[in-house]
Amino acid sequence: MPSTADRLQNLIAENLEVDGKPVSTPVDMNSSLTAIGVASMDVVAFARLIQQEFSVQLAPEQCTELATLTQLAEFIDANS
Amino acid sequence: MPAPGGLPWWGMMREIGAIRVAHVDLTPHAGREASALLWLDESEQVQWRRFLYPGPRRRFALCRAVLRSLLCRQLGCANTQLNFGYGCHGKPFAVIGNHPAPISFNVSHSDRRGLIAYAPQGKLGVDVEEYDLRRDMELLIGTVFGPSERADLAQLHGHHKVRLFYKLWTIKEALIKATGAGFSCDVAKFEVPPALRQGTTGTFTFPQHPTKEWRVEYLGNEAFAGSIAYEAGSDAGGNDG
Repeated sequence: MPSTADRLQNLIAENLEVDGKPVSTPVDMNSSLTAIGVASMDVVAFARLIQQEFSVQLAPEQCTELATLTQLAEFIDANS
Repeated sequence: MPAPGGLPWWGMMREIGAIRVAHVDLTPHAGREASALLWLDESEQVQWRRFLYPGPRRRFALCRAVLRSLLCRQLGCANTQLNFGYGCHGKPFAVIGNHPAPISFNVSHSDRRGLIAYAPQGKLGVDVEEYDLRRDMELLIGTVFGPSERADLAQLHGHHKVRLFYKLWTIKEALIKATGAGFSCDVAKFEVPPALRQGTTGTFTFPQHPTKEWRVEYLGNEAFAGSIAYEAGSDAGGNDG
């Protein structure tokens, strides 16, 4: 069973782009969606995808408030 | 601020009463970015370095530098005196000498285009989006729009649908940025009034705050979608919003 971090990396690879190019993965788990430079519209869509993938309630704001992708993975593990 | 190449890369786009909206050209340009970086303070330069990709890095530097230039001019202060604080949902505000400065502003950028709105007082929010035909609109339509908005979108196809999608999005984002709530506010829980969907100006009240009225102006055109929202009744928008 892939870890939450691995599944997050897959979601990023399959869905997030910056300036028309896919985000290169693996992204440093100490980085964040803000540092990647994900547009607000894509953050909202990504939050929705996380909800669907992990069956977790996650507001778009939490995607950017959580300081790192590690914290995002920990939030998912704690709430799914 | 120097304009490398002798061409202005930002300028005023719209005046609405006391509100000014500046447009910033975010086209890749090493000289502009180098000039802009000189305006950023140490913490902003750290923030600039944290971006993993050149596009977001450039957009942040250029918009923040123009914002600093505009605010310094309006406030009559030196760039070194100007700092920024952040509200509980991340909305920035200007600070001079440890005190909030008497100015309201908001910034948005998308791809090669930035908008900066500012006024002496009154809450305001601005959003700009370049049309992206590759975006998964259906996922977002089901996430951020209410029933009658979805019904309106379902009747449209092609660029008509794209236009309305981005128009509604920018109106919603401008409104939640104006309040300072940002995406702590679920944008699916309110709808853009039908009159505003069809026109370019109008008023709006959030269902949970029916006594507080906001004015909205759509700024979009063939090239991009953009909206500004500001407090109705404040001096910010005057009487012509």
